[in-house]
Amino acid sequence: MVTRYFLVLILALLVMMLSIFSLSLVQTDEPQTIKTQEGKKLIISEQIYDLDGNPIPLKSLTKGKVLLNVWASWCITCLVEHPFLKSITESKNVKLIGINYKDQNFNATSYLQKNGDPYEFSIFDLSGDISLKLGVTGAPETFLVIDGEIISHRIGEVNLEVWNEKFAPYF
Amino acid sequence: MKIICLSKLRCKINIQPDFFGNILLSFSALLSALIFVSSLTKKHSKFGNSLVLANFATLIICCGYLLLQFLEDNFSFIYVFENSSTLLPTFYKISAFWSAHEGSFLLMVLFLSGSMFINNTFFWGQDWMPISNATLAFILFFYLIFQIFTSNPFLTFDVLPNNGTDLNPLLQDPLLVIHPPVLFAGYVFYAVTFSLVIAGMFIGFGKKLFQSLKLWAGVSWFTLTFAILLGSIWAYYELGWGGYWFWDPVENVVLLPWLAGTAFTHSLIFSKNKILLSWMVFLGISTFLLTILASFVVRSGILNSVHSFASDPSRGVFLLSLFGIFAFASLVLFFSKSVFLQSDWPKLLSKQYLLVLNNVVLLAILLIVFLGTLYPIVTEVFYGQKLSIGPNYFSSLITPLVLILITLFSVEQFPILLKSNRRSFFLGVLSVALVIIIIDFLKISAISVGLYFVALVLSILLLKALVELATKKQINIAHKVMGHLSVVLLTFAVIANHQFSESLDVRLKPGEEVEFSNTVIKLDSVDIEGEMNFDTVVANFSIHSGKTQRNLKSEKRVYKIGGVITSETGIVSTIRKDYHIVLGDRFQDGSWSIRYSINYGIMLIWISSILLLLSMLYGTIRRHGY
Amino acid sequence: MKNLLRIFNIFIFFTLPIYAENLYENLNPQQLKRLDYLAENIRCPKCSYGNINSSNAPISKDLKQEIASLIKEGYSNDEIFKFMEERYGNYVILKTDINENKTLFLIPLIVLLISILLVTTYTIKRSK
Repeated sequence: MVTRYFLVLILALLVMMLSIFSLSLVQTDEPQTIKTQEGKKLIISEQIYDLDGNPIPLKSLTKGKVLLNVWASWCITCLVEHPFLKSITESKNVKLIGINYKDQNFNATSYLQKNGDPYEFSIFDLSGDISLKLGVTGAPETFLVIDGEIISHRIGEVNLEVWNEKFAPYF
Repeated sequence: MKIICLSKLRCKINIQPDFFGNILLSFSALLSALIFVSSLTKKHSKFGNSLVLANFATLIICCGYLLLQFLEDNFSFIYVFENSSTLLPTFYKISAFWSAHEGSFLLMVLFLSGSMFINNTFFWGQDWMPISNATLAFILFFYLIFQIFTSNPFLTFDVLPNNGTDLNPLLQDPLLVIHPPVLFAGYVFYAVTFSLVIAGMFIGFGKKLFQSLKLWAGVSWFTLTFAILLGSIWAYYELGWGGYWFWDPVENVVLLPWLAGTAFTHSLIFSKNKILLSWMVFLGISTFLLTILASFVVRSGILNSVHSFASDPSRGVFLLSLFGIFAFASLVLFFSKSVFLQSDWPKLLSKQYLLVLNNVVLLAILLIVFLGTLYPIVTEVFYGQKLSIGPNYFSSLITPLVLILITLFSVEQFPILLKSNRRSFFLGVLSVALVIIIIDFLKISAISVGLYFVALVLSILLLKALVELATKKQINIAHKVMGHLSVVLLTFAVIANHQFSESLDVRLKPGEEVEFSNTVIKLDSVDIEGEMNFDTVVANFSIHSGKTQRNLKSEKRVYKIGGVITSETGIVSTIRKDYHIVLGDRFQDGSWSIRYSINYGIMLIWISSILLLLSMLYGTIRRHGY
Repeated sequence: MKNLLRIFNIFIFFTLPIYAENLYENLNPQQLKRLDYLAENIRCPKCSYGNINSSNAPISKDLKQEIASLIKEGYSNDEIFKFMEERYGNYVILKTDINENKTLFLIPLIVLLISILLVTTYTIKRSK
């Protein structure tokens, strides 16, 4: 009697475990780990500057549709997505603004000279403070901001697939 | 097959299987199938024995062949290309063999056939051998199929790249070179133990079978414990986070078979008298199943973690099916044979009864580790969101259970406590409850209570051992006494470490010093040095405590291929505490950020673990006279 | 002679101005302890595993600095956990809360109690 109960219990647990594992194996969409910042307001409280040291009015970020891309010259994935960003700005009417994340000014400008500059301008964020407040965890990340509200947020590389899913509907 | 697409190559490369390597693997799979058939049909034939030897030899040649490609920098092999480079020192070119999924699995396969060979040499002619061989050949066959079709290390490019992408710098460490082989050996030895248990279910557990079972169980337990200790030491010295156990999923998953194995080894003690026989068999099966589960979790990549191998769904599916097949087959066997496993059940408050309780607590710890590790998968499947189970979940639940465990095995050493009648037993329980209430009332922190308690038990056990040594000139079952003492010592050291360790984040310029916790640390100088495959910044510190001065070096390395940066922690150990410095970033003004920690009891943790290992080893081999 | 050396040493320690500055300025020892505790229990968002005390990622250092300033501003531990959860999600909180995961904490304990009871009653039954 005892053994029979035990058998049923063990087998039930085993089947449950196997099915959960199988479900997790066949799961195709990446599980959400770090929360995206979608739905939040774009908060920048301090004065921001571009790579040449010119002050930038906050309005240029909070007015209309703006694509914000966090990049750095030391970041390898940024280099990978760079050609795609260029093709986007060439083919579509996209206002792309960069956030240069924890980078040396010289390295950043020579990176843009070498690989081309798709950005309208890039915000210089040496300490990473501006990005931190935005909820950036590293480079690259891309935000779609419409009238000061974060509509889409991608953590990691942007390619055609990601673009079509997350950003294309708004352009 | 995952291939890193280099932008220049554009993935227009053709991939071909290497002829020689694949022939060897297939031949070995064929031999395994033959062993399976021949051990079931022609029992005890010399032919079967030579097949086992031939299989082992084939796999040795196969591994030697892959190793040769590493030594010759043959980057046309994808596996070599991904895990080695011309700049890598020869020592690490060898260890690169088992640094990633394919090679490490091949090593495991080699070990499995090796331990099959050892099993045959030592116990040839025993009545249980054919079934044991058949079981192992069955496992080996499926492992080889898995190897060939989902994790083939013998795939080649048709072009020859100039250089490889290098071995992961974190793995370039002597400890991590030996940790994986020892771990896989532990897993594989448990497969042998499992095969003996299966054999016992068919032909009954005779005296001879018990002897070999105890030997294999002891060896497996020792090996797996050793592997865990090595991993822990590596984490402490190489990861440089000041900890030795992080409740990281991959660590936890190794703990699962270890806990089951611990319960299993203990349940074997009284099995001679057929007490708890079915219980023991069940544990033996579970331990092996958990080793497969561990391989599945690590190799399928369903949990992300520091050590995860690259994930590939087909691997996960295969390993999960393998787990399912073995689990159902052995459980069905277990329950269909349960009539033959009729065993005696211990009496209340006997030593054996305490052992059952001990096993129950061990399995409860196993359940905690299991739930805490795999719960994130459940939330991921049902809510699409990953959740973190933090170290506090494990430590807050497991610590009291470990204390109960210690109490149980300490009480067991004083038979007089068990002989008394039931009333005094309940009186004992009542007084424990009273003490708990008083502690709660006085608001003494739980951790310090635990620490005092463990210290008390430690001194009682030590005293008992010394008295016994003085009066009888020897200790009865010395390995048991020493093993349990070292577990108590280990617990003491772990709690002390948790309770007293402290750390400081500070900025120092060369020549500056800072005082912290009765010590003064000074950054003497910062040098830059170059090595074969990395450049390094070396910071020299001196630590003054009282009159003694200790020097230590902390490094930051930049590896030449891939530019990975790693920290080499500077550590000075004393028996009571470790001084531990991690070098951080350099600031504009030339100062460096450093993290300085004083970790208590680390040495004690290592010492007690080594004592534990020695007791396991002695307990295993003493009766066999090898 | 040795005593003299000790006095000399002490003298040196007292007179040498200690230039080294704490990485997290203006926090008292109590607050530093809290910082350590919080950093120990918040996961590095960029890493596959590990808390922000143990990781070398730039974001970890920034976050630790931010936690330090939140402590200085008077936030409590719970509020800081909440703040981090708000920004990065549940995943980064390594402190598993008993109240939010009651079942997870209770299952092992219940299973343990039941099995001890079962084993004991079974033992009593068998010995009769």
